[in-house]
Amino acid sequence: MNTKHIIGVFDDEDKLLKAIKRLKKQHANIKDVYGPATNHDLIKAFTRESMLPYLSVLIAIGTIIGAFGFLYYTSVIDYPLRYGGKPLFSFPPMVMILFLLTVLVTGGASVMAFLGRTQLFPGKEPAIIDPRATDDRFYLVMDQNFNPEEIKQWIAESGAEEIIEKEID
Amino acid sequence: MITNLDISLVKGRKNYSQITEELLANTEGRPPLWWLAAFGLGCLALAIGGWAFYMTLSEGLGTWGLNNSVAWGWDIINFVWWIGIGHAGTAFTIFFLIFRQKWAGSINRSAEAMTVFAVMCAGLFPLIHMGRPYLAFFILPYPNTRLLWVNYNSPLFWDVLAISTYMIMSITLWYLGMVPDLATIRDRTKNKFRKLIYGIFSLGWDGSLYTYNRYETLLKLLGGLAAPLVVSVHTVVAINFAVSVIPGWHATILPPYFFVGAIFSGFAMVLTLMVLMRKAFPIGDYVTEKHMDNIAYVLKYGSMVIGLAYATELFVAWYSGVEYEIYTFFNARATGSFSAAFWIMVFCNAIVPQVFWFKKARRNLVSLFAVSVIINIGMWYERYVILVSSLAEDFLPSSWVTYKPTLVDVGIFVGTFGLFTIGILLFMRFIPIVAINEVKPFARIGKDNHTKNEKE
Repeated sequence: MNTKHIIGVFDDEDKLLKAIKRLKKQHANIKDVYGPATNHDLIKAFTRESMLPYLSVLIAIGTIIGAFGFLYYTSVIDYPLRYGGKPLFSFPPMVMILFLLTVLVTGGASVMAFLGRTQLFPGKEPAIIDPRATDDRFYLVMDQNFNPEEIKQWIAESGAEEIIEKEID
Repeated sequence: MITNLDISLVKGRKNYSQITEELLANTEGRPPLWWLAAFGLGCLALAIGGWAFYMTLSEGLGTWGLNNSVAWGWDIINFVWWIGIGHAGTAFTIFFLIFRQKWAGSINRSAEAMTVFAVMCAGLFPLIHMGRPYLAFFILPYPNTRLLWVNYNSPLFWDVLAISTYMIMSITLWYLGMVPDLATIRDRTKNKFRKLIYGIFSLGWDGSLYTYNRYETLLKLLGGLAAPLVVSVHTVVAINFAVSVIPGWHATILPPYFFVGAIFSGFAMVLTLMVLMRKAFPIGDYVTEKHMDNIAYVLKYGSMVIGLAYATELFVAWYSGVEYEIYTFFNARATGSFSAAFWIMVFCNAIVPQVFWFKKARRNLVSLFAVSVIINIGMWYERYVILVSSLAEDFLPSSWVTYKPTLVDVGIFVGTFGLFTIGILLFMRFIPIVAINEVKPFARIGKDNHTKNEKE
């Protein structure tokens, strides 16, 4: 359902950062910020750290165990074949394979997790407020709030270039 | 405190829309005449490669110059050469991400593009060398009617895995890195068709800060995962050589030596391309003299490490006291049948890049271009010397042979040049060559500094 949102337009990250910090302090609900670039301070002030690395570690551990099991099964159990009188299974040559498989599977799965979590996919219709969001303006979108006038005032005081109201979902 | 390096990352006082405008210049408007001409040449080269490929498939590997003793010839030389070139892209992105070298931000897009296409060219050679490329999937471990699994102890299998992993990770990093820029093009363009295509490839990117947060985390994560890959790919290639008991190959120095050589040739190719792109597109404010200077520094030190490796190889051969090693290095390579190639290699790789001690040479586009091309010629000769000299004159003088490539060998090499050229040209035409979303925050640092200076 489309609801009305207050949107502050900024042309500078510093002012935007100021606005975010101020609104957070007042416990106002920021829906999202759309912009062409980002920096560390902005992300840190706005949202918490992504949990993706933890998931990746789990995937990596799973891949190592799975790949080790596969290598052991194929070279010792399923078809034990000696190459050049060497042991059926020795660890050193497996290090390279385990490492490469882990990188490949973990990398792929992390990308999939990212795409799934952010709901990005080829052909998705982007929810753009204004085409300039990918060019040179930052859009601070506020959720429906109890005191729209106050919020508008806070945004304006932090140096917003313009304040617009728009219906988006 | 802002360092000097940060200020020169983006020249001039630019606002964001100016940056967008300037960096999208290459993707808008009609393609320039030189682009069309170069594209035509690339297609011609690719056609020659297609002919050579057809000859190889229809007649067999007998059309190549290989023989009983020299079983690895131009194909593997070119494979190692291309894969070496393909090293710089990911090295740029990752090592500089880890070491927080911000200056790489405006180069990594093109370096990665170069990596992707160079690795594609490299991958072609082992594939064709199999003789029946359509059966290439035999090398993968999958349940099959032959009831056999692959030999995991063989570095050749590691090579398959290393190169495919490297290629997939490089393409992923490259593509994910450009998603926000593709969204910028999508939002700017008035053309419906362009909007559709860029819309599909930009995955519905809307610049949300939540997405940015996860995106940055993902890129850092992938960078961390891919960092050891940069080292592993050429290490595995070197181990392919080092495990065989052939004089000149059977050495522990080979993996680090190959790795440094790869970084060296990759950076040289990056420099070649950056000089050309700077000439062709208005990106001089983003890829500044400082950037060129930094790459030249890397090449200078790389050249010294390479020179040291050459000297070390000679020393170890002598010190080992093994007559075959001594013969290969001192007779075959330095003074014998391969001395011309050997000294070209030493001259191009260890001596010429030393001109970068002079600031004038580092600041002059012509000398930068010339040296970077010379380095890659030298690196090709290095692989030639390593491969052919060891195989053609090994233990038994009765089996010594001469090796000459045939027209088909040359044709395939020319074909990979065509593939590379076409790839790079398409990249220059349809994708912003400097990562816009990465460069914008740098411009900010410059801006802050300007206002600070003005206040003072």
